[in-house]
Amino acid sequence: MYLKSLNLRHFRNYAEQSVNFTAAKTIILGDNAQGKSNLIEAVEILSALKSHRTSRDRELIHSSQTSAQIVGNLDRLDSNLELSITLRANGRRTVALNGLTQRRQLDFLGKLNMVQFSSLDLDLVRGGPDCRRSWIDGLLVQLEPIYAHILQQYNHILRQRNARLKTLKAGVQNTSGDLVIDDLALWDAQLAIAGSRVIRRRDRVIQRLLPFAQHWHEAISGKSEQLQINYKPNVSGDTDLNNLGQSTPEAIQSQFLDKIREKRTIELYQGTTLVGPHRDDIEFTVNETIARQYGSQGQQRTLVLALKLAELKLIEDVIGEPPILLLDDVLAELDLHRQNQLLDAIQDRFQTLITTTHLGSFDAQWLNSAQILHIKAGQLSTTP
Amino acid sequence: MYTRPLARLIEHFQHLPGVGPKTAQRLALHILKRPEAEVAALAQALIDAKKQVGTCSVCGHLSADPLCDICSSPKRDNGIICVVSDSRDLIALEKTREYKGKYHVLGGLISPIDGIGPEQLNIKALVQRVSKQDAREVIMAIAPSVEGETTTLYVAHLIKPFTKVTRIAFGLPMGGDLEYADEVTLARALEGRRELE
Repeated sequence: MYLKSLNLRHFRNYAEQSVNFTAAKTIILGDNAQGKSNLIEAVEILSALKSHRTSRDRELIHSSQTSAQIVGNLDRLDSNLELSITLRANGRRTVALNGLTQRRQLDFLGKLNMVQFSSLDLDLVRGGPDCRRSWIDGLLVQLEPIYAHILQQYNHILRQRNARLKTLKAGVQNTSGDLVIDDLALWDAQLAIAGSRVIRRRDRVIQRLLPFAQHWHEAISGKSEQLQINYKPNVSGDTDLNNLGQSTPEAIQSQFLDKIREKRTIELYQGTTLVGPHRDDIEFTVNETIARQYGSQGQQRTLVLALKLAELKLIEDVIGEPPILLLDDVLAELDLHRQNQLLDAIQDRFQTLITTTHLGSFDAQWLNSAQILHIKAGQLSTTP
Repeated sequence: MYTRPLARLIEHFQHLPGVGPKTAQRLALHILKRPEAEVAALAQALIDAKKQVGTCSVCGHLSADPLCDICSSPKRDNGIICVVSDSRDLIALEKTREYKGKYHVLGGLISPIDGIGPEQLNIKALVQRVSKQDAREVIMAIAPSVEGETTTLYVAHLIKPFTKVTRIAFGLPMGGDLEYADEVTLARALEGRRELE
């Protein structure tokens, strides 16, 4: 797919800005704090309807305004789409496809597919489990937009169950006398049903991503280092890691409920839910050594690059056309060898938007074929 | 900008659901233009409604009498009770004119976040009703939200020992095109499929 143009109104530090992308690779060049990452963020929002930098729409809107708009024109194999989103300071949003307002945001998700790679992505290896969860959830939403609904439902049940646990902790008793039935058990059942859906989909996407990631990891490291990605669902404990994919939803649910029973006393004591996919983790190992603990900086970079390339290929595989690659301030950090690996992998098939502060470390091949845009204080131009 | 009594009126209108500052102003100015008798009638109607309308002692539906029209009607089937979360849902079902049984209004849904537990709802009366009156069937007609689902499960659990419990179907709207239905609804409709007779 190809993003032809982007139009920003009152978004972040942009007043009114149109940009046409004229080459498969676009390099956005500018000093720090001029709006490079904001541009990338705008594309991310068109794709995922959320930003990894903030969850408050207020921050996305130019400080002197009450609303902002992002419009993108996208060529897909089967259609041309105009994607538009209006953000408001009060948090309400309007999304439209080809000028038609969509009632449900779910219909907007998965239209623009992208893989984002920024310097923050090293957190995939080094950061906490929440980084890996939000990474895998973001990928899933692109491949299976309905997952956004499944996850939202799970989180909703989780909040209700936490509220119930808190009242139990505070000693608020059920006062209806003879009608004593355990309403916490009902939340348990709902949590297990919604949670097992999350677990099954996460497991499935990791199984699909693994062969691509292994291929790229081997190619980049140039050695026969074996990458392994292990999904560690919180409900499974230390056993049954491998046959989760073959488990029926009922089997996962019953394991889920077993675990809840096991943790009941602690949950009541802490007043919060300790069991479920909101506590999942994903473990990367190289030659059976956990990458987080033993990998060198270079190995960790190789691993993250392999994961990102795997994402590109998996999305291409599932969607049937290449997604857009967003490289935010990350290319200069890669050495020439890894830059070339990346270049070879994407060639001209993947439209790529690249932000950087200087062109010095770029391979000449990159510069020759790229469109270069200069950015200063929220203004884009083709000349410095 | 507004003289004080007018400002107060506008402010009160603004507290109503679905009314913003502009509508509130419009309503208030309209009131000022009407004859005083009409305004007095409106004021009286507000007070009367508030004073006289309570809930039915049996089903919990809004009613000025201790027993609502539906509960006191001899034409309605005592053997079927339809459980809804509030009176608005009951009215929607009544409009179909298809249902000849009786109702039970819970007055909300279980939602710990909002501090609503089963004990805040009109559930105890339902259990007593079902156990005493010999109901053949209880129909759960509650929206399939997270809270609705929990409430349905809770209530069903309590009354299953006494009678048959069913729930209304979820799925495609009538006259709706399959291709325009969203995935969530379709998945739900698939789950609830049934054999052709």
